[in-house]
Amino acid sequence: MSLLLQLLLNGLIAGSIYSLVSSGFSLIYQVNKFMNFAHGSVLALSAYLFYSLSSMTEFALFFLPIIPIISGFIGLGLNRSIYRSLRKGKSTSGVLLIASIALMILLNALIQSIWGAAVRIIQVKNPIFEILSLRITLVQICIIVFSISIFFILYFLMKKTKLGKAMRAVSDNKEVAQTIGINSEKIYDYIFFICSAIVGAGGVLIGIEQNLSPQMGIALVIKGFTGAVIGGLSSIQGAIAGSFILGILENLGILWLPSGYKDAISFIILFLFLLIKPSGLFGKKMREA
Amino acid sequence: MAFINYVIHILNLTGIFGILTISLNLSVGFTGLLNLGHVGFFGIGAYTTALLALNGVPLILSLLIGSVVSFISGIILGLPTLRLKSDYLALATLGFSFILSSLAKNWIGLTRGALGLPGIPRLIHDNTLFLWIVFGILIVVYLLVFLITRSRFGKVCEAIRDDELAAKILGKNTFLHKILILGISAFFAGLAGGLFASYLSFVDPSIFGLGDLILIFSALIIGGLASVKGSFLGIIILMTIPEPLRFIGFPIYLIGPAREIIFGIILLLILIHKPRGIFGRADIS
Repeated sequence: MSLLLQLLLNGLIAGSIYSLVSSGFSLIYQVNKFMNFAHGSVLALSAYLFYSLSSMTEFALFFLPIIPIISGFIGLGLNRSIYRSLRKGKSTSGVLLIASIALMILLNALIQSIWGAAVRIIQVKNPIFEILSLRITLVQICIIVFSISIFFILYFLMKKTKLGKAMRAVSDNKEVAQTIGINSEKIYDYIFFICSAIVGAGGVLIGIEQNLSPQMGIALVIKGFTGAVIGGLSSIQGAIAGSFILGILENLGILWLPSGYKDAISFIILFLFLLIKPSGLFGKKMREA
Repeated sequence: MAFINYVIHILNLTGIFGILTISLNLSVGFTGLLNLGHVGFFGIGAYTTALLALNGVPLILSLLIGSVVSFISGIILGLPTLRLKSDYLALATLGFSFILSSLAKNWIGLTRGALGLPGIPRLIHDNTLFLWIVFGILIVVYLLVFLITRSRFGKVCEAIRDDELAAKILGKNTFLHKILILGISAFFAGLAGGLFASYLSFVDPSIFGLGDLILIFSALIIGGLASVKGSFLGIIILMTIPEPLRFIGFPIYLIGPAREIIFGIILLLILIHKPRGIFGRADIS
């Protein structure tokens, strides 16, 4: 019984981690209309930046609020330098997608050549609590709290603020939004800044919790989009909920399969959803091709 | 002498990756399918060929079975995804190659995990003769792909890329065409994988790596979509560009990432400034 509860808790933690990626992935997909595979690499880059900054000084946590801002500007820079030039050339979403793959591999290789292929560990105290024989670390609690607050913050942003309304307008119909005076390029900048800041903060937390390896970004973006497809790519809340479902299913799967097959479980779930319910559990109904 | 041997080695790899790029062009260039799982098919061909050949199946037969297994996996992968918007195919195919890498690492009983499978028989021992065989196969694949794209079947595939709805209205079964072309594309990728495994007489999970994915995508786009000779030229350009790094004393352990960075930058520049590449006849869907 306690094993089952512990697995559920681990699933909840994994789900929060995935949701930090999937929320931004789905928001960029909704508004910018392309799948940004480089999203996970921004996470990895932020984690490594935090690693370097924190190993230089005693007050590592001082950098905690700074990293998301840097990550936000990294995302903004990528949008301005690459995606915007592509949009100017009237590129299709397929071109943007391939560019994001190129960026993902490029950033991954960049991390590997700066920090090396070896696993890195961030030296920050991370006490373990034991509640009713369930084990959870302080950072894991932070991750869960952070991901739940992202859920509500993004909901509030999209539904209640003027900026959110403008984002939804661009998402629904870019041309009409422009004719009523919304600068879509500005909206894209905001989207990239916000999503990259979220994923950057996530990168710091995940970096403390797990070890750093150059591939972490790619591994996480795959989990992120799987979670987003489960919940529905067309809804941020769905994507976050889908990530939790994915995390829990993966961890419960360990009851029957060796833990090395976690990734295979998530791919089978992705495959099944694409086959049976491609719009996801909470997404809007999608037109075929 | 050592230099000549090295050139022959690079030419062998160029030939094998040439087959891979040309086959990628079938699905991405000619039919407009965003297939990011091509290294997955490459790896399936390599592992199947390796496992069969190591268990006593004649090498030629193993190569053929490897390609067929790859064909079947292409069909299976296409079944749920080809009905959806093309981004979903990109998602599923990328996940597919990633999952294969994870299986190859974890299914130790079959693949020996990260240790890889050594001692795969070679088609022929001598590298120079191997090069002739590789180029012979490359030419055959080149001609076959050329014929496929000139056939009625290939024309329908191009019509699907340009306007799928119109092709449907004309009574074409677009789903069948898409799934077959993905399978054929996977077939040749599997063949390239088998050749690769036999050439190195070794295969390990790094075959599913992203380095090869960015290599063939950059080659495809630099050469131009829907142009077979473009793919051929593209792979020659991209295999040559990073080579000087080895001769100017660049640290060996950085060459892998450096290649990926170079390919990534080239691909981004091409996409921004000349998205049709050199001989391209189509845009990315």
